[in-house]
Amino acid sequence: MIEIKDLSKSYGSEKVLNRLEFSHVRHQTLSILGESGSGKSTLLKIMAGLEDADDGDIQINGDSVIHLEPKERGTVYLYQEPLLFPHLTVKENIGFGLRFRDTTPVEIKNRSLDLIERLKLTSQMDKYPHQLSGGQKQRVAFGRAVIIHPSVLLLDEPFASLDPGTRQEMQLLFSEIAKTEKITSLFVTHDIREALMTGNRFGMMINGKLKIYESRDAFIDDSATGVKEEIEFWKKLS
Amino acid sequence: MTKRIALTVLALSFLIPFGVLIYLSVSTQWYYPSLISHPFTLSNWQSFLDGQSGVFKSTGLSLFISLMVSTIATSSGFFISRSLVYHTKSRWWLVSAYFPYVIAPVVLAVMLNFYFLQLGLSGTVFGVMAAQLLITLPYAIILFYGFWNRNVRNLENLVGTLGGSFTDKVRHAIFPLAKGLLVVCFFQCFLISWFEYGLTQFIGTGKVETLTIMVYRFVAESNPYLAALAGTVLIIPPIMLLIVNRKIIFKKEWSF
Repeated sequence: MIEIKDLSKSYGSEKVLNRLEFSHVRHQTLSILGESGSGKSTLLKIMAGLEDADDGDIQINGDSVIHLEPKERGTVYLYQEPLLFPHLTVKENIGFGLRFRDTTPVEIKNRSLDLIERLKLTSQMDKYPHQLSGGQKQRVAFGRAVIIHPSVLLLDEPFASLDPGTRQEMQLLFSEIAKTEKITSLFVTHDIREALMTGNRFGMMINGKLKIYESRDAFIDDSATGVKEEIEFWKKLS
Repeated sequence: MTKRIALTVLALSFLIPFGVLIYLSVSTQWYYPSLISHPFTLSNWQSFLDGQSGVFKSTGLSLFISLMVSTIATSSGFFISRSLVYHTKSRWWLVSAYFPYVIAPVVLAVMLNFYFLQLGLSGTVFGVMAAQLLITLPYAIILFYGFWNRNVRNLENLVGTLGGSFTDKVRHAIFPLAKGLLVVCFFQCFLISWFEYGLTQFIGTGKVETLTIMVYRFVAESNPYLAALAGTVLIIPPIMLLIVNRKIIFKKEWSF
């Protein structure tokens, strides 16, 4: 369970998060839609401990984590760019986070190879990042985040730089693995279709506040999300 | 063909002076108009090894000073530049790092001599090391300044969210990324320190006899044979360091 209470953040005179409040249940993906600069990334970075909040509290499974170091929060932040370690191969990148836990080398190997297979990266596992395509890199980054079983996975437009085909493939892969691994995640995007494909809960970031919708239909029906407009556009086109 | 000739000329321009140094170091009497020296002798090298000429001691002292200076400058410069990029907004800190290069080293030494005398560092090995650090440390800071970009910072943060401590960030993310640059910086600082003359002579007041100081001393004494010997020894460590460098760069850190 994630509880965000009165979270505020300003950059100079600009208020990015304005007493933001919401809660999110375990093993679900909350898709957060919002325009560029609406504070989506700032929210995730504060949750990951990469930025400080001006005010408010973050509780994960009942414990306040707002004053904890990033490594103590159990959250993993997935960037828009894959950010792979260039000196490590695919399998080494995926197993990277296990080095900081009480995991034996044999276990690191077994768990990495298992995930590599599920990510369909077996033929690429000994390659270095510069030898991979954009989609493959993002799979590795996703695998590296998932393998450590984080309390919360924070995805900041992770597929934004991919081509439409690869993007759709990655969205499906994410949904599948999130379901089987029972991942609790927040998925930030400005793409309506991506939000609908990846989430089981939906939110919209407006003026530094997050509006959570009761259901998928409520999300679609709200004119602020632009979903209906999008549907109308495609209807007219066809 | 032209490329091959150019490469040969280039290689010879490096090798001939080195060859002449070795040739002179095994000579004792080589006077005009003789084309070759006679007789050849290893007496200069024997005096080097048994410590009579003082070159052996100077080599050890130079190695100690240069290794210490390059290690301190590289490691400190690396983390100081990180702090400058991450935690300061003013570029004046970086601009101030250029200060030692605006003026000649000897002029800098004269300017700082008062403080070295007051601190009792004048004429001491530590004084010479401190003086050399005044040049090498800013160099390291300037060299590493460009390394710390958004990508490196994001990678650091990533290691943090994956459960790594600051040491883990340095060991597993920053160090492997900066390895090549660290080696280059260490090597450059070593060379600056190894061949440094002006500051060493002034702050060392002639009491700290590094190998470079010895070469100049032998030249001043019109002893070309011992100067050549010291010159030959002077070139060996940088060449060895260059060979070791390649092995360090290409060594893999972790795998399974």
